[in-house]
Amino acid sequence: MLSFLIRRLNLLLITALILTIIAFMIDRTVTISHATTTLDQRNYIAQYFSYLWQIINGNFGYSSIDQQGLLKRGLVFFASTLELCFVALLFSSLMAIPLGLLAGLFRNTKLDYMIMTIAIIGLALPVFWVGVMAILLPSIGGDILPVDGNLSLVYDIPVVTGFLLIDTLLVTEQYGFFAFIDRVAHLILPALVLSFFLIAEIVRLTRHSMTMVMRSNYIQTAYAKGFSRTKIVFTHALKNALPPIIPQLRLQLSTILSFAMTVEIVFNLNGIGKWLFISLKSGDYLVLPAGMLIITGFILIFSIATEIVMVLISPLRRGSLYVDK
Amino acid sequence: MLINNGFNEDKIQSPLRYIWSIFKGKSIAVVAMWLMIILITTSILSPWFMPHSPLTQDPESMLLPPYWAKGGNINHILGTDDLGRDTLSRLFQGLQFTLGGALTITFFVAFLGMVIGAGAALTKGVKASVLHHLLDALLAIPSLLSALILITIFGPSYTNCLIAIGLSLLPQFIRASYIVIEQELSKQYIVALQLDGATKTRLFRYGILPNILEPTITILNRLFTMSIIEIATLGFLGFGAQLPQTELGSLIANSMELIYLSPWLVTFPGLAIFLVIVIVNIFAEGLRHAVIEGEE
Repeated sequence: MLSFLIRRLNLLLITALILTIIAFMIDRTVTISHATTTLDQRNYIAQYFSYLWQIINGNFGYSSIDQQGLLKRGLVFFASTLELCFVALLFSSLMAIPLGLLAGLFRNTKLDYMIMTIAIIGLALPVFWVGVMAILLPSIGGDILPVDGNLSLVYDIPVVTGFLLIDTLLVTEQYGFFAFIDRVAHLILPALVLSFFLIAEIVRLTRHSMTMVMRSNYIQTAYAKGFSRTKIVFTHALKNALPPIIPQLRLQLSTILSFAMTVEIVFNLNGIGKWLFISLKSGDYLVLPAGMLIITGFILIFSIATEIVMVLISPLRRGSLYVDK
Repeated sequence: MLINNGFNEDKIQSPLRYIWSIFKGKSIAVVAMWLMIILITTSILSPWFMPHSPLTQDPESMLLPPYWAKGGNINHILGTDDLGRDTLSRLFQGLQFTLGGALTITFFVAFLGMVIGAGAALTKGVKASVLHHLLDALLAIPSLLSALILITIFGPSYTNCLIAIGLSLLPQFIRASYIVIEQELSKQYIVALQLDGATKTRLFRYGILPNILEPTITILNRLFTMSIIEIATLGFLGFGAQLPQTELGSLIANSMELIYLSPWLVTFPGLAIFLVIVIVNIFAEGLRHAVIEGEE
């Protein structure tokens, strides 16, 4: 276990170093072409190491608009993005996994074609356009679902974790549950729009993995033993069909984040996408390396974490634990 | 030799011809193929048969609805925008930029990605491991973010937007083709070819390429879908095609403030993007099924 962890962390370190080099390159290009600060006269290698030292110390530079530390502000914005992604993921898993399993079980039937049509439609609808169309909806149905901002401006929520769903629960003695409900109402539409794409993706992955499992030999054996179809599906197939979806979905994480950033800009949510967009439009280019490091850092840590979890829960992957023995 | 077997000779079809004959039996996929050909030709030839120029402004007829709605005009089938420009002509021009850009990106990224992916899979040692780590790093950057970075450095324009999207989709394609070729390399007929002393190029051309048809179609389909969506997204955010170029995403962005006054202007470009992607997906799905059936 220890050697496995060391091997994974080693990979993480190398990838993180490459990413800091890319961030450094962006930083220098932006600084030179827009001349935001006085230029450093040392050679690039010395500059890189001082840049790296700053990053390790948590100093990502300061915004040229409001002179605030970029790391702290970026993390608060990114927490809001993550919240959106998480709610969308939860919702779309609830919808898509049963659909995908059904499509995989009844492959090449009318039901399967129907579900796959839904999946293709979900993939083909451009996210920002669905967002724009969804903004039209509440104007027809009354103002139950607000379409812009993270939270109504009447609530003054101190930043504790950055995740507004948790922060609003921490101030219940002041506002009761109204702040929390307001936050949920603000999240519903963006999360629904984002889950269009996610549903399509998860349905495809689940269907593929379920088909593969149902074709495998141990399912044939179970049939030969005379088990009923329900029992085979629930006790044998599900356990093996669901875990492979997680690493597949992990590969899509960067696509999901880039869609979430678009949704934020459409719905005017204060997430990292909107932060980058507004800052770039107003000429604050130093947010680019900072934002990139925050997002990629999260993706790297998350992928290592999923890999470790996969090794713990799935026997098929546990082989990589014992590679060097 | 006077035996005339001209009437009962055995014809063995080539695999590609066999796949094509299966594909012809799938009516929906064939319809999608023809629709795709029509889309591409209309978007190329549209300047010659557009009813109006996409930039001609007409103060007499502003914000017209489509002709079937109340107050519509048959001269402007899909209505006009706030400057009196014809929506249909603007859609055609937008299609030209979006579809043409997506096809260009797909072509170049597929070629480069296949070469690099095959190079990484067929060689061993330092080159492959350096590429592996570099790809890991590049894959962690969301494609929208890397497009934003490249556009900030090069400045917003349509060409830069295409380059940025191409570069941001390249790592995904390299990784996908690398995995596909890597899986193929462990098959026994490849080992047999290697034992025959085949060079790497011969191995790739005759051993691997004919057998990775089905996953390649899936990857290409995905690449095309993603590049259309990203071109439209960047156009929507104002980093893609600059005025007076019209691109489907920037069409939506330009009519955002008119959304309550004339929702048609936002609806039609979105539907156009949707239809293009659905048609291509159905075509690719039909082709993929034909390949699977042909291989079995």
